[in-house]
Amino acid sequence: MRFASAAIGALALCIAAFPAAAESGAVIRADELKATPFIDAATSAKLAANQPVNIVSRKGGWVQVEVNGQTGWVRMLNVRLATASSPAQGQANVRAASLLRTNSSGKTVTTGIKGLGEEDLQNASPDPLQVSELATLAVSADEASANAHASGLVEQQVEFVDEKGKPIAKPKAKKK
Amino acid sequence: MTHPRRALSLLVAATLCLPAAPAQAQFGGLGGIFDKAQKAKKVGDSMREIGPEEEIKIGSDLAGMILGAAPLVDDPAEQHYVNRLGMWLAQHTDRPDLPWKFGIIDTEDVNAFSTPGGYVLISRGLFERVRNESELAGVLAHEIAHVVQKHHLHALQNEMRTSAVADAGGSMVASGGVTGFLTEQVIKAGKTLYTRGLDKGDEYEADRMGVVIAARSGYSPYGLVGVLQTLSAEQAEKGMALMMKTHPNPTDRIERLDKAMGTKLDGLMPVADDLPSFVALRNPAPPPEIKATSAKTRAVKRTLSKAKPRHK
Repeated sequence: MRFASAAIGALALCIAAFPAAAESGAVIRADELKATPFIDAATSAKLAANQPVNIVSRKGGWVQVEVNGQTGWVRMLNVRLATASSPAQGQANVRAASLLRTNSSGKTVTTGIKGLGEEDLQNASPDPLQVSELATLAVSADEASANAHASGLVEQQVEFVDEKGKPIAKPKAKKK
Repeated sequence: MTHPRRALSLLVAATLCLPAAPAQAQFGGLGGIFDKAQKAKKVGDSMREIGPEEEIKIGSDLAGMILGAAPLVDDPAEQHYVNRLGMWLAQHTDRPDLPWKFGIIDTEDVNAFSTPGGYVLISRGLFERVRNESELAGVLAHEIAHVVQKHHLHALQNEMRTSAVADAGGSMVASGGVTGFLTEQVIKAGKTLYTRGLDKGDEYEADRMGVVIAARSGYSPYGLVGVLQTLSAEQAEKGMALMMKTHPNPTDRIERLDKAMGTKLDGLMPVADDLPSFVALRNPAPPPEIKATSAKTRAVKRTLSKAKPRHK
């Protein structure tokens, strides 16, 4: 118990110290820092390849970054995140936070680390009762649509694309 | 009672004839041999086109295998949420009428699975790592694409065609009946397939289709890119091992998506990054205090409920 409360205490401090969205990364290629998340927005600065950035937020295909005290937007595809081994305190934060589990009543509990590795899958015995349980979770297309429309989601007409981005009606199922 | 027996003998004939067929076909036209070759070819064809009922049965067996390793999370609100989202996404594909079922499975590892016939499972580790609903939509849409394209079904057929003959006799007697035999074979091939992974090409295709399915459903097509960035940054971590083994490198996947997407999907308006309902789902209001608790306990609880978002 003592360990648990110490761990929670440490966790609480850790979370307080690094608020959400503490991600860091770097610009993949030379790019422009835009004032707003639009391709035709004003350019506020030029960024060189590998320029380190702190990621503040995300919107559509853009990430808001902080670089040398300046804040602006770059395309998401032009940024890579710092890896777990390089300094990126936000990730340690997430790992610590993932030890916490909140159940349906909103009560926070801690759980052990349960993995799902290759061996776990190889040694698994099929569980038909869980399959039945899964079946009870299914919802109708009508319920899903009503919910989506109530949430304000707007459907779009978009075609599938091939590897080179050429629009296609539907990727052909591969013949085996 | 003749029907099951006929089915059984047909299956035995099928497994026995199958490997021999290509060789014998070369000598076609010679009475019995020709006949045999034709029969095998027919069975081969029928194996290629598995009907929806059988597809769903196979998918159910494979879902049972994965759930045997990691059961469903006991959180009805979260499970309901992913089912409504998943079913909505599936409506924007060519197979809206499959009996789609979605589940969050209880493992810290970061992974997601689909099995034929409309079964989609996402790990709690990945569910907790998504930054917003469009990222969750991206993951589910990628898995949905595998089902729509029958990626696992086709890979499984290949796997079973090569392994079925060797096992036919013993297993069928031991498990008593065609259904038992098939389930056993499906699970065996499934374990190989789900620990080895699909062809890389299938994964890239599911990525390209996934962003489009999410966009059609009203979400930012960049949700999946965000998830791949997370995977790319954390790929060396322990909870990523099986996912990394069974999928192409996330950085490579991002580059290929970049080539396919370009800026084509940037003009869609409006697209949702997140929904208030998803934020609320992951930040439930703290339960009313029933017992008197010390100020210190309350302070810890408040801090923990703030910690809940698990956003990075």
